[in-house]
Amino acid sequence: MLRLWSGLTTVLTSAAIFAYAASAEPAEIEFWDMIWGSKEYPVAAQALVDEFNASQDDVEVNYRSVPWSGWYETFVTAVASGSAPDVSTGASFQAVQLYDFDAIMPVDALIEEMRADGTIADIPQRYLDAMQYDGVHVGFPWNTAMRVWFYRADILAEHGVEPPTNWDELRAAARAVTGDGTYGVVFAGADGGGQHSMHTLMLNNGGGVFTEDRTSNLSAEENVEALEFIQALAQDGSVHPASIGYKSGDAHQAFERGDAAFIVDIPSRFAKSPAAGSIRMLPPLKSPDGEIGALYFVNNIMVYSDTQHPEAALKFVRWWSENNLPLWTEGAAGQIPVRASLLEDDHFPEGGDARVAVTQYSDALKTFGSKADGAFPALNSVDGDGFLRTLIQDVLSGKDISAALEQAEKQLTAILDN
Amino acid sequence: MMDTSAGRSISVWRRCARRLRHPDVTVPLTFLLPSLILLFGLIAYPMGVGFWLSLTDGSLLRAGEFVGLSNYADLLTSNEFYKVLRFSTIYAVANVMGCYVLGLSLALLMNRAMPGKGVFRVLLLLPWIIPSLVAAIGWRWMAADEHALFNQFLRLFGSSPIYFLSDQTWTIVIVIAAKIWRSFPFMMLSLLAALQGIDRSLYEAAAIDGATRWQMFWEITLPQIKTVSIVLALLMTIWSVNDFDMPWLIAQGGPAGATENLIVYAFRFTFGRNDVGMGAAVSFFTMLVLMILVVVMLRRQKDS
Repeated sequence: MLRLWSGLTTVLTSAAIFAYAASAEPAEIEFWDMIWGSKEYPVAAQALVDEFNASQDDVEVNYRSVPWSGWYETFVTAVASGSAPDVSTGASFQAVQLYDFDAIMPVDALIEEMRADGTIADIPQRYLDAMQYDGVHVGFPWNTAMRVWFYRADILAEHGVEPPTNWDELRAAARAVTGDGTYGVVFAGADGGGQHSMHTLMLNNGGGVFTEDRTSNLSAEENVEALEFIQALAQDGSVHPASIGYKSGDAHQAFERGDAAFIVDIPSRFAKSPAAGSIRMLPPLKSPDGEIGALYFVNNIMVYSDTQHPEAALKFVRWWSENNLPLWTEGAAGQIPVRASLLEDDHFPEGGDARVAVTQYSDALKTFGSKADGAFPALNSVDGDGFLRTLIQDVLSGKDISAALEQAEKQLTAILDN
Repeated sequence: MMDTSAGRSISVWRRCARRLRHPDVTVPLTFLLPSLILLFGLIAYPMGVGFWLSLTDGSLLRAGEFVGLSNYADLLTSNEFYKVLRFSTIYAVANVMGCYVLGLSLALLMNRAMPGKGVFRVLLLLPWIIPSLVAAIGWRWMAADEHALFNQFLRLFGSSPIYFLSDQTWTIVIVIAAKIWRSFPFMMLSLLAALQGIDRSLYEAAAIDGATRWQMFWEITLPQIKTVSIVLALLMTIWSVNDFDMPWLIAQGGPAGATENLIVYAFRFTFGRNDVGMGAAVSFFTMLVLMILVVVMLRRQKDS
């Protein structure tokens, strides 16, 4: 009798568990995604989410496209009010800054899982390292945006100038093509474009904004030389005079019109330009000391610590990372995928900007936080504050470099002390 | 002695409580209560929280520690702050004056009988109607470089191009001009209403006395619209000091901080540096300056 009761109880309990499991709702994941391409991007991303939802029954992802304008306020407000998503893409240093406020869940468990099954080998170690902060991975890398030099082959050919390989040749080439409404170089001084160009030249010369221990390195000799180089270009008359007031869009247009022969930008920027046939990428330039270096950002997908479904969130992050090729093929994402396997797709042809950039610049790439390793919370404020923008505007306008650096250094120190 | 004073204070409290219970007090208080709750919830409480934040070193995601008045001390000892204050003053004064002169001139014109007046009035309102972003992008396009409209116009006179947004002084001029262009329709409309309210017999009497047009304008028109003018100047000052759109959308406060006003400065502290304490301190300082200005101008209006 006891055995009968025991058997009955087991059967009933199992049935109840089975019934519960069968009727259990899938884990709901809110996914906020920035717009990484043009207007096709959110459509392609939504289709990808639909594909994920159709591929399994455990997790249901809700997609929300977030515009870049006001992104910081959007995420900070959401976190502060307890309405953060479960998963999001975002600015390069968003994860590390929010992690500092306990709002981000590290993705180390996912990386360990992928290390165990060997699939992590598809992502070069540098991209994983770039997401490290004090021993944990705060985000999972999925694309990279590096800053490279472009030139107008038609303008150089018209003036009989060879593509430069170092700073001296760049200065000479810029001077040679300047005249009749054409200038050597154009910068976007009024937004991040200009400050990233300046930062690229600092890194190119072996400098950088930070020391190894995350303090200010702004006044280092290598940085001063980079700023002197930019000022020399301006004093030669080789810099487009509107550069100080240009935003990135204005500078791109000026370059595409042929108003300037050189510009620093991301590899895919001019792929669909009407002037694409005349636009080429320069290999990394050598600084006077023979150094090479270029700024790169690693964009990542992050999981929020308030999520009720951490495992489901990591499952989605992995799937997204492995299957997101349509974001490039259909969504026209502008950055370069970090996965080697995606880069081998026909969408990124041999000799195309993305592959050439990865091949030629791989040894030159340095993070925004260089010379410090990985990422750290102050990077977001340093990139967003605008004092580096003021620095390049000061340099282009001919202001004394030590005075301009002193002012910038003061602001950098204030941010780092905060 | 103690007992007597305690007894006296109890009786004062009782008297107050009795007075508060009187229908003459309770009825209006009951009617006022919803408004008082709204005022407290929508104005007093956020202001109180804002002031408290200005006394802390918090960020957008962390409350921070109480630091007393040190944010204000840092602000008042910073050279950057005085540069920002200087631009805010220039921006506000230029806007008020520019809008007043342009608004009054056009209001005087619109106050006269002329063909197509209705069409002109609508056209003149357009700058005020279109969104700030569109206006700012339009001004950037017109001033961006040698291909832009302003330089095409200058070329007609043989002038070499001016890179308006790359020069600090010119950028200040462009930002102020854009703000005046955007704000003058409100001034024009309000002054037109004031002009239409002036008793015509005053002008007729002045004409009989042989007054010139200038004398009529100086002795009748201006005094008659003085009260409205003070209120408009006050509003325009507040809007100019609190304006974020034009300095940010046209020049992002640049070049090199030349067009950074108090509000852009507060925004940069709060969202650029994640330093909410300093951002709140800048905002409170701005509010204090504006409140002093409001009191002075309203007193002036009362005296007049």
